[in-house]
Amino acid sequence: MRIRVVLRYLGPFLMGLGLFMLIPLAFSLYYREPDTLAFFISMAITAGAGLLLRLFARPGGDRLSRREALLLVAGIWIAAAVFGALPYKLSGTFPNYLNAYFEAMSGFTTTGASVLTSIESQPHGILLWRDLTQWLGGMGIVMLFVAILPALGVGAAHMVEGELPGPKAERLTARIRDTARILWQLYLGLSALEIVALLIVGLPFFDALLNTFGTMPTGGFCPRDLSIAAYNSASVEGIVIFFMILAGTNFQLFYLILWKRQLRTFLADRELRWYLAIWATASLLIVLDLIMNMGYSVSNAFRYATFQAVSIQTTTGFAITNFAAWPSFSQSVLLVLMIVGASAYSTGGALKVIRVGVLAKYAYRQVLLVFSPRSIRPLKLAGKALPEKVVSEIVGLSILYIATLVLGSVVMSAIGLDTVSAFSSVAATLGNVGPGLGSVGPAANYAMVPGIGKVVLTFCMLVGRLELWTVLVLITPVFWKAR
Amino acid sequence: MGGFHIASVLSMEGHSVVVVEQSEAALDSVRRLDVKTVLGSGSNPRVLREAEAPRADLLIAFTASDETNMVACFLAKALGTKRTVARVRNPEYSGYLVTGGKSAIATRRIVTPESLGISLLVNPDIMAAEEISSILASLYSTSIEEFAAGRVQVREFRVESETIVNKPLHDVVFPQPCVVAAIDRPTEVIVPTSDAILKKNDHVWVVSSAEAMDEIGAVFAQKKSPAKRIVILGGEHVGFRLAQLLEKRGMGVKLIEADPALCHQVAAQLERTEVVQGEGTDRDFLVEEGVPFYDAFIAATGRDEHNILSALLAKNLDTGRSLALVERAQYVPLAEAVGLDGVVSPLLLAAERIIRLVRSTTMITVAFIAGSRAEAIEFAAGQTARIAKRQLGKVDLPHGAVVGAIVRGDATIIPQSDTVIEPGDHVVVVCLPSVVPTVEKLFE
Repeated sequence: MRIRVVLRYLGPFLMGLGLFMLIPLAFSLYYREPDTLAFFISMAITAGAGLLLRLFARPGGDRLSRREALLLVAGIWIAAAVFGALPYKLSGTFPNYLNAYFEAMSGFTTTGASVLTSIESQPHGILLWRDLTQWLGGMGIVMLFVAILPALGVGAAHMVEGELPGPKAERLTARIRDTARILWQLYLGLSALEIVALLIVGLPFFDALLNTFGTMPTGGFCPRDLSIAAYNSASVEGIVIFFMILAGTNFQLFYLILWKRQLRTFLADRELRWYLAIWATASLLIVLDLIMNMGYSVSNAFRYATFQAVSIQTTTGFAITNFAAWPSFSQSVLLVLMIVGASAYSTGGALKVIRVGVLAKYAYRQVLLVFSPRSIRPLKLAGKALPEKVVSEIVGLSILYIATLVLGSVVMSAIGLDTVSAFSSVAATLGNVGPGLGSVGPAANYAMVPGIGKVVLTFCMLVGRLELWTVLVLITPVFWKAR
Repeated sequence: MGGFHIASVLSMEGHSVVVVEQSEAALDSVRRLDVKTVLGSGSNPRVLREAEAPRADLLIAFTASDETNMVACFLAKALGTKRTVARVRNPEYSGYLVTGGKSAIATRRIVTPESLGISLLVNPDIMAAEEISSILASLYSTSIEEFAAGRVQVREFRVESETIVNKPLHDVVFPQPCVVAAIDRPTEVIVPTSDAILKKNDHVWVVSSAEAMDEIGAVFAQKKSPAKRIVILGGEHVGFRLAQLLEKRGMGVKLIEADPALCHQVAAQLERTEVVQGEGTDRDFLVEEGVPFYDAFIAATGRDEHNILSALLAKNLDTGRSLALVERAQYVPLAEAVGLDGVVSPLLLAAERIIRLVRSTTMITVAFIAGSRAEAIEFAAGQTARIAKRQLGKVDLPHGAVVGAIVRGDATIIPQSDTVIEPGDHVVVVCLPSVVPTVEKLFE
């Protein structure tokens, strides 16, 4: 392990991050608000630290090993949150650095869990930064830098692997850089579309931009205290639903349609079907529950149920109503969606539909093997057998995911949260959803969680975004030994 | 092994045959035949020239390697061989390859076996799988040969009904006109006269129209319902292709294979077939897997002895029908004698297809029956054929040959002694191999 090499590579990322602070700085200057200085200083610190690392960490060979690449990925994400918290702290949004760090990590990991109590009183620059961190984190910071920066070499492939949300799959292109570019192009294109759509239905540019930055990465930060409910507009909700669904879809499928014209492959994709089926089923169950137990009108029930189901399943976390006050059946359904999550290779988080599907098939196979132990049954997706290695990786990751969820909730309840809040807070941060249930529901936020709890939850966000392995290997002693 | 069989049949029929073989030991056994031998690889141009490929009418590439066979055909065609046949196992090679243009306007090239210089691709595995599948779909578990586009069948039945055992043929009453063309016993194959006596477990070969067959079959044995649930032993070539085919026809298939790696590979490629890892000769295992409750058991591993033994074991467990894949021609009568319901030989099927190509002047279709100890041949009667325009009873057909059916336009005629063959008729004749040249002359 050559820490210096890792640090040297970290340099350019920090400089890049500093450059991105120019955007909120520009807004701050435009609106002539007092947070200008905070952004300027933050930018100087971030870019300066990057420059120092680049200059003083001596080069020790260019090729990153797998371990170094993993460490670098984790390092980049942690550094992003550490330095991304500076504007919040320096502008006085949060007097407490931990809160600033929580908000920054929540942003970059597209969780959307907030400790900000009054959103609308914040200056435009801070609000933009909040949503920009989400947008950058959505398609992946590493992915962005791989797409832009030349000459990361072999290390780039290892790094992207450490960040990609989904089970290992075939590459889209021969070169990882081309993949990164394609994915970012798609992401940019979809974001632009959503901004235009929101402008058309009458949202001001600032709101359209920020809500897009909340939707496309399935983040969930909204520049309004009441979240999307503040607009009280069915067309805004419709547009947001549509783009949330797109954001929660495997981006590789869009590549197949747009670049390769393979509509049939797109329609035959099992995960896409399951993803939509789960959303439809969950919405329907909630609709029934809301009509029968809350006395909602059919149209209202549909409006709230479909929006909340897709918002939670894609791990966005927008709210148009306080679903923490819904009957417990609806809440349970939402909790399940929180754990299942969106599609692999989307910007969404949590376990991912494909993994849940494979787990179900795996469990069914175990049952069959009880009475016919010698039959050979490969798990298949759309007729194609999954290699046992991939299956085992999926099962392993799911076990770790659930274990983290359970352990985290135990810790959270030890800190003093009630069971529902403890469990849902971990499920919502690990899955990068945002709002949970109970006292961390959409009507409240995470400000009242004690300090230790915030540390645990930010760790959950990071672990959830990087899909466990990348972070968990760092706390494995063997990782640091030898080479 | 398949090459040997083809060489022996062709040389017996009077063709000049050159056998190219890489292994000295294998070549030694070929020297028993009246053929020229060349030591070397068939994909080597020098060897092909030495084997006189440039002036050959036909090159048959029958090695176990698809690629070698295809290259040999390609080279031979380039050297001047008139026609080439390749044995190709991988069905993806037999399709058309369309080379996609880089842009929509770019010309597309179509690559066919012909563009590689191959006149005929023969796939023994798929032929065997289709043969087994057609046996399983019929009411009797014995093989069928089709002629005249399926209108005439030459079909094997086993004599089981007590009412006809030990009776002469002329006493047996058939519900539909038909000709009993051959009787196959482990000891001999005869083309019977009307006073031949039927014995229990004889295999008889009957010629009739396709529609009449099921009714005629009832005379010999009880009908069995077509198989729906099938066990296949062996996941290699034939077993795998058969599972694919049966699966597609909507049957329930269980495939047993001993090699775990092959199990996984096969299970990954099949859709609904249940793949089980285990030994086909393990009686307890077969019982555990419910083999007695299946409609059919097909032993299709790569080893003849293994197949015969496992099929016998399954028969013993009361599986509906028990079939075995047997490559060695000598084993075929043996396998039938021990009581298996049917035997299928992929290489013999392929050889048959190739020999058909060799003799395509007057003979339209050739089928080897009774373990290739007799042949059923469809002839087209020529304008000047000696057999035409005379009452059948007065034609001097050699001993060991019988006219089974005549197809004239849309009509299928089961001949009597006063039937007259017209020029242009298609005639199905069953005969012993020794009299084939004599019969052929009658039709020229």
